Amino acid sequence: MAGICCGVVGEGDTPAPLEPTPRPSRRRSLDILPLKYIADMPMPPPEALRKRPKLNLRDCDNAIENCDESTGHKVTKKESKVDYDDDVVSETKNVTVSEVEEESPKFGVTSVCGRRRDMEDSVSVRPCFTQGFHYFGVFDGHGCSHVATMCKERLHEIVNEEIESARENLEWKLTMENGFARMDDEVHRRSQSNQTFTCRCELQTPHCDAVGSTAVVAVVTPDKIVVSNCGDSRAVLCRNGVAIPLSSDHKPDRPDELLRVQSKGGRVIYWDGPRVLGVLAMSRAIGDNYLKPYVISEPEVMVTERTEEDECLILASDGLWDVVSNETACGVVRMCLKAQKPPGSPGSDVAADGSDRACSDASILLTKLALARHSSDNVSVVVVDLRRDQRQSSNYNDVN
Amino acid sequence: MLCKQDLETPTIKAMLNTYHASKLSSNQCGSSLVQTIDAPLPLVWSLIRRFEYPQGYKLFVKKCNLLDGDGGIGSVREVMITSGLPAGVSVERLDKLDDDKHVLKFSIIGGDHRLVNYSSTITLHEEEEEYGGKTVAIESYAVDVPAGSSGDDTCSFANTIIACNLRSLAKITEEKVCKVNQIKL
Repeated sequence: MAGICCGVVGEGDTPAPLEPTPRPSRRRSLDILPLKYIADMPMPPPEALRKRPKLNLRDCDNAIENCDESTGHKVTKKESKVDYDDDVVSETKNVTVSEVEEESPKFGVTSVCGRRRDMEDSVSVRPCFTQGFHYFGVFDGHGCSHVATMCKERLHEIVNEEIESARENLEWKLTMENGFARMDDEVHRRSQSNQTFTCRCELQTPHCDAVGSTAVVAVVTPDKIVVSNCGDSRAVLCRNGVAIPLSSDHKPDRPDELLRVQSKGGRVIYWDGPRVLGVLAMSRAIGDNYLKPYVISEPEVMVTERTEEDECLILASDGLWDVVSNETACGVVRMCLKAQKPPGSPGSDVAADGSDRACSDASILLTKLALARHSSDNVSVVVVDLRRDQRQSSNYNDVN
Repeated sequence: MLCKQDLETPTIKAMLNTYHASKLSSNQCGSSLVQTIDAPLPLVWSLIRRFEYPQGYKLFVKKCNLLDGDGGIGSVREVMITSGLPAGVSVERLDKLDDDKHVLKFSIIGGDHRLVNYSSTITLHEEEEEYGGKTVAIESYAVDVPAGSSGDDTCSFANTIIACNLRSLAKITEEKVCKVNQIKL
């Protein structure tokens, strides 16, 4: 539902105003656009007022998911309280829970069809999905939407199970690799069965062999950011104004990927760009069983320590990154975060579900920028606020 | 040119000479692919001959509209291709449909992709077996080599698509046979 609303906004809003103007003016207006947007924030124009209800629809979707998670979280908290009287360990546990609760990061999500006919992207946001860890995922499907949809619905559950089974010996690389392998296996098993999908595959099982999805997933813990990537979506960290890529696109002509495909007996053919066997424009994906063993589902996992300089994390599909550089994206988000009112002040736009006006504005602005630059794909953007001073603000908020 | 030499029985050899010995012009390439299917020929043919419904066995087809004709010779179809592939639409004309000799021939006459002057011939051949019939499907094609590409790359791309479709055809028809046999039990 939210996707449809955003699709309407994306398709109807951006192209029309820009088409009449010649290219130089267009570029100039693009440069002006971010500043103008931010300048308008204190007194939103009627257009923005009209858009707000649609944004609320998406917030409602997030709120529903967040309520479920919150309920689970509260149960956990109660258990901690019960244990509190026993010993010091419980006390420590209780403190940890409180800290985690305060650190639940603010985020914003936009996912639009754009200029493509079908929407095949999916986004999954699971605050506090386990042990005070937070999960963000972007999945860009191809061939059809059901693999990306399965990833949205199941991958966080699978990762949760892997984390639980790792217990004290949590090794992130192995945990995430196992999670992705299980997700790929689940996709494969489902395509082999006669189970129906709620999409237009027309129930012909062989079609499912040729459906797949990218998967870029970030698990944010109190002290680490764990990014696992498979395909050509991307995660970028903005630290002290510098754009730091936390993933590397799996393009078939990336030298090590080219060698890996060839070593398996496959070929990379330039057919509208580099493609595995001339067919698929990425070298790793969930699904796409017909291209195994050349196209694999093994993620590249990067574990990054969090620092005080961390500002934001951006996860997005290639509908954004094909037309917007890492540096530009970070610059846009930084401006939106700086324009944000301090949390706790009157008129603060922090929503109960953890989504945030500044982060939402940033994700919307990035999406509009991608469409304005004629991205020809679905665009999905997740913006996560990683700033640590939220904690102090949150404490201040609690006092109120 | 033929992928599997061991399948050349006298009958198949005659069919190859008749239908699959297309002459390539200087800037063209072509190839033939063979798929053995453990299903009766009439069943396999019933899927191949439906020119207006390629998604009955082909992968990568999102939708198909007939632009001209009713599925017989001369019909033109517009095939919408699924996302992720280097093509959006393929416009194709049915050139030959022989229900007695089980021969289908079509050409790609338009669309947005890099296959120019593409023509393809599909023939089915029956192989007698002790337990029920087997079918041998042969598809051969010729196509221009696009500027900037090599014949080798062009054939590699086309072979990948055709091989996927022939494997899909085998999978679907063999599954149908399994279902029928289960009902009989």
